[in-house]
Amino acid sequence: MAAMLEIKNLHARLTDGREILRGIDLSVNAGEVHAIMGPNGSGKSTLAAVLAGRTGYEVSEGTVNYIGRDLLAMEADERAREGLFLAFQYPVEIPGVNNMYFLRTAVNAQRRHRGEPELDAGQFLRVVRSKLKLLDIREDLLQRAVNVGFSGGEKKRNEVFQMAMLEPRLAILDETDSGLDIDALKIVAHGVNQQRAPDRSIVLITHYQRLLNYVEPDRVHVLQAGRIVQSGDKTLALELERRGYGVVEDAA
Amino acid sequence: MSAVVDFPVKPEARPYLEAFARSASARDRHEPDWLAGYRQGSLARFAELGFPSRRSEAWRYIDLRRLEQRSMLPAPAERAVVDAAAHDQIAEIGLAEPAYRIVLVDGRFVPELSTFDGLPAGVWLGSMAAAIAERPDLVRSRLETAPIDASRPFTALNAAFFTDGFALDIAPGTILEQPLEILHLASGDTADSLHTRSLVVVGEGSHASVIESFAGVGEYWRNDVIELRLAAEAALARIALVEEAPHALHFGEMLATLGAASHLAGFVLLLGGRTVRHEATVRSEGERSRCELDGAFLLSGRQETNILTTVDHYAPGGETREIFKGVAAGQSHGAFQGRITVRPGAQKVDAHQLSQNLVLSPRAAIDTKPELEIFADDVKCSHGAAVGDLDEAALFYLRARGISNEEARRMLIEAFVREAVERVASPPLREHLLSRVARRLTTLEE
Repeated sequence: MAAMLEIKNLHARLTDGREILRGIDLSVNAGEVHAIMGPNGSGKSTLAAVLAGRTGYEVSEGTVNYIGRDLLAMEADERAREGLFLAFQYPVEIPGVNNMYFLRTAVNAQRRHRGEPELDAGQFLRVVRSKLKLLDIREDLLQRAVNVGFSGGEKKRNEVFQMAMLEPRLAILDETDSGLDIDALKIVAHGVNQQRAPDRSIVLITHYQRLLNYVEPDRVHVLQAGRIVQSGDKTLALELERRGYGVVEDAA
Repeated sequence: MSAVVDFPVKPEARPYLEAFARSASARDRHEPDWLAGYRQGSLARFAELGFPSRRSEAWRYIDLRRLEQRSMLPAPAERAVVDAAAHDQIAEIGLAEPAYRIVLVDGRFVPELSTFDGLPAGVWLGSMAAAIAERPDLVRSRLETAPIDASRPFTALNAAFFTDGFALDIAPGTILEQPLEILHLASGDTADSLHTRSLVVVGEGSHASVIESFAGVGEYWRNDVIELRLAAEAALARIALVEEAPHALHFGEMLATLGAASHLAGFVLLLGGRTVRHEATVRSEGERSRCELDGAFLLSGRQETNILTTVDHYAPGGETREIFKGVAAGQSHGAFQGRITVRPGAQKVDAHQLSQNLVLSPRAAIDTKPELEIFADDVKCSHGAAVGDLDEAALFYLRARGISNEEARRMLIEAFVREAVERVASPPLREHLLSRVARRLTTLEE
């Protein structure tokens, strides 16, 4: 099976010189769901940020191959147009930019990139309505400014809704489960499960095992101090839940 | 040729005096004696004042060297030039379906392009020239009492030379539902100055809205003055959309007087012109008046723009709200100076002013200078000012969804400006202004 994402010996540091990622190796195949778990400060969110192309990080070593291309050579928006999606841990509020307008601009930017015709307002609305049901989002949220006045749960659902609209090849969900109550978690998990597909890979970054009760991963990795220290199948997550991260650290 | 005068004359004023003398006979044939006297007096005032000093606070942000190097004398044309360019300008910046429209080309009224049939009873609308001929009761006292001091030499010059403008007089208790559109165009025929003078008088309890749009081709200097008078409980929205030619100079001055419980909503959108200065001076004379002054500028290249506002509360219970948004790209320079004064005895005034600015390039700059002068003790006044760059987190969020850097920046700039534009109450006018902003954004960061 072809690798969707192939990370080799990835080192990254902040602009102040602190090294956060210290040699990550990870391979994700098409159709797979991988979970990356780890304690606070282990580098989970930095990994997501580096993959999505956020500025403020310097990759000092290593390679990232995405669908056969050098991911690190691409700008953030180009990565997104090539099908990489990041669900933000902290979705950004953008006053004055209408949510619907924002999403249509994004969808059409990606369609243009793929050589597909742009969707007009009516076509777009039909797609929106079909996907909204999936995540139990009220249509009036879309008439507001992006993430402005959204509750924490609404912001997270909106991220997964955007994922549904953009239909990425590779989705990285950065702590999408954090701050959700159990009902919201189930809705989000259902939304993610609906989007599992043979040609789509999903990387779930999470602190807790809880989400993995609802979205069953093919592989689980433990990230610690900027390295993947252990990998296994879904039972690893349960083991971590029982023993905590400290034990893994000792074993590593 | 040299004019003989018996008052002090600054050297930069001399060519204007000579031009005045040259055109005197033509003017005198058409105009009443009181106006000739008014013009003569205003000219003497200008001659004495000369150009403003750059050391003066009101003119420190405007580069007058172009005017100093070469006199831009009033356009001599007796008739407006209406050519294809005028029609193009109307198609570009005019409202799609204006109910009432007055078109001025090179500072002169063009009846064949104007339409104001079907005005409700109680509304008098016409060119300033027509108002002078037919409604001296309306215009004479207003012209003669407009304030001209050392900070307003060009107001005096305007008074001496204005060719036309428009006048709107609304009887008490009259609601003008549809906005009135005034288009000030420049044909590019001349590299001269265009002086227009307008007057709006809104009677007690009456409502109206006016949008004035300024556009043109070529190199010219537009010097526009408008006076607004709001009687008790009158409401007026006045919008200025400035999209002058790339090399044009534009000085716009708005003088407003507010009666008791009246409501003025002034809005200005400055998009085009090499050097644009917009000054709004509001006297809140009646109790519980409401004054909203809002606006935005978007600059690129070597554009320079200065917005000055002065709101002077003489009466108690007044309210002032201001939101101004500035955006500067390229090597442009913008400046906002906003003063709110609360006179002794004007208790319970509630005033708030906000100046927010985006500087998009290292060679662009924006100055902002809010000023409160408070001489009453029971008031609520505040101001805020900020100059910054686009929000990096928001920019990344948009790009992470596949939106290009250029488009993401445009979206954020538009959102920034939108907050001010949304203060315009009329939905069609708001949409019109937003579409002009969107168009300006396509070339802002080139």
